[in-house]
Amino acid sequence: MNITVKIGNAGFQNPVTVASGTFGHSEKYYNLQEVKKLGAIIPKTVTLKAQEGNPPPRIAETPSGMLNAIGLENPGADRFIEDKLPALKKIGVPLVISILGHTDEEFRILAEKFNAVGGISALELNLSCPNLGKKVLVAQDPEATCRVVRLVKDISKYPVIAKLSPNVTDIVTIAKTAEEAGADALSLINTFSGMVIDIKTRKSVLGNVTGGLSGPAIRPMAVYMVYKTAKEVKIPIIAMGGIMTAEDALQYIIAGATMVAVGTANFINPQAPLDVLNGIKAYMKKNKIEDIKEIIGNILT
Amino acid sequence: MKKLQDTYNVVSNEQLCAKFYRLCIDAKPVALAARPGQFIHIRVRNSLEPFFRRPFSIYRAKRHVEILYEVIGTGTQVLASKKKGDILDVLGPVGTPFCLPPKGIKHVVMIAGGVGAAPFLFLSDVLKERRYQMTLLYGGRTKGHVFNMEEFKKNGCKIFTSTDDGSVGVKGRVAVLFSKIDPDPGKTFIYTCGPRPMMASVQDFAREHELQGQASCEEVMACGLGACLGCSIKTAKGYKTVCGDGPAFDLHELIFES
Repeated sequence: MNITVKIGNAGFQNPVTVASGTFGHSEKYYNLQEVKKLGAIIPKTVTLKAQEGNPPPRIAETPSGMLNAIGLENPGADRFIEDKLPALKKIGVPLVISILGHTDEEFRILAEKFNAVGGISALELNLSCPNLGKKVLVAQDPEATCRVVRLVKDISKYPVIAKLSPNVTDIVTIAKTAEEAGADALSLINTFSGMVIDIKTRKSVLGNVTGGLSGPAIRPMAVYMVYKTAKEVKIPIIAMGGIMTAEDALQYIIAGATMVAVGTANFINPQAPLDVLNGIKAYMKKNKIEDIKEIIGNILT
Repeated sequence: MKKLQDTYNVVSNEQLCAKFYRLCIDAKPVALAARPGQFIHIRVRNSLEPFFRRPFSIYRAKRHVEILYEVIGTGTQVLASKKKGDILDVLGPVGTPFCLPPKGIKHVVMIAGGVGAAPFLFLSDVLKERRYQMTLLYGGRTKGHVFNMEEFKKNGCKIFTSTDDGSVGVKGRVAVLFSKIDPDPGKTFIYTCGPRPMMASVQDFAREHELQGQASCEEVMACGLGACLGCSIKTAKGYKTVCGDGPAFDLHELIFES
């Protein structure tokens, strides 16, 4: 059975990874022998400077989902590289580093910093960042998406993955723009903008007022976006959005995803990524599928 | 190595008073690893509703692990329906435990509001072995929030109770019992757990008398492992996670805002 996949020139032993922001910072708790079995790890987004994050409360439970406004809390690139990266490298699983610049210049410096450290497999660009001078995020503006992807692609020695936002009119337009700008792959999707109001206080339950929705609540919308996008682009897609089980992950693969990332499910069931991996293998065995590529995007209509 | 997460049988699930329940879980590996102030993170059922696990302070850790809980929402409603032999998905013990008072201090005062008593029986078990003198100031809203505290007494705790409506003990918030505290910073150490306004009043009192102490905090929590950074609270040292940096914090580090 072949379950290896490729993103650009980077190979992965299997298609299962963990979505940015849902893993890491807590290596001490994980059984590394188990984590080793994953295809890749995508640690929490790193920004150039340290960010303290948003005021609490930062999360809320929603029907089959989670609303969050963590605010990209992270120690900044230099401390990440010094304090976190060595332990992550030690795990021995390919690392995809998620970066976010608040300006083009920050994206450039981040790409150069990670060029310099080596030992990582790909860069994921978190494009849900401010687009200076405009009210929309980079990921909501085809021109800005094109500019940032091209800028990083020009200097990065690693494959570049553009992580797109679902909060757009037409994700396919943005996806094609990212592909044309040279992206080696797409991550679909980031969280959906959302809000929960406490009617007793008449305030938002989040300190940041609005947040991003993840979990099974968004899965059908995310599967739809992967399906629509996969038909229109040639580059591989890393899919995420409410994957709790192998059945969920297989929906994305059939819709056209090359890799799948387990995100919010990590918070409910730390075993979820491995359960997903084992379930995919079991499905392939049962259905006599020799190579996972046979089912990627192979949706019957 | 003990598994971080596992399934265990419910031993008993007993209603202690109108509002509180006590759940006993046959989780010896968790009990052996646990320290006072730590918590367990329970998936109350294998379903998307409720979606998150629920964190509970460890009430007692002997042969079994016990939690004290109040039925508030869906999670605790489901928990209240558990019966002997039911299976529970438990992650833990996790979190930073309480620290002991500085050397020389042999009297501790535990100040609990409602179900905030949850971490203190286990703490008193450990402090009893170390021959501390203990006082428990307990404030409940009504008599429905007051339960039998015989086990605290057996551990040697002196107990004073208040209720908001005066139905049991002294009438008023737990602050009406602060007069029972010997406010000598060389003799007394404070542990507190309860609603934020209550812990803020404890912090004010402790500050006024220069008493040191520890507080056990609560926040909406997702992973319980320090990964999501969702349960962060404001402290004098910046945002800290309740699940990893806490639940036990230095009382004076916490920043309470109305």
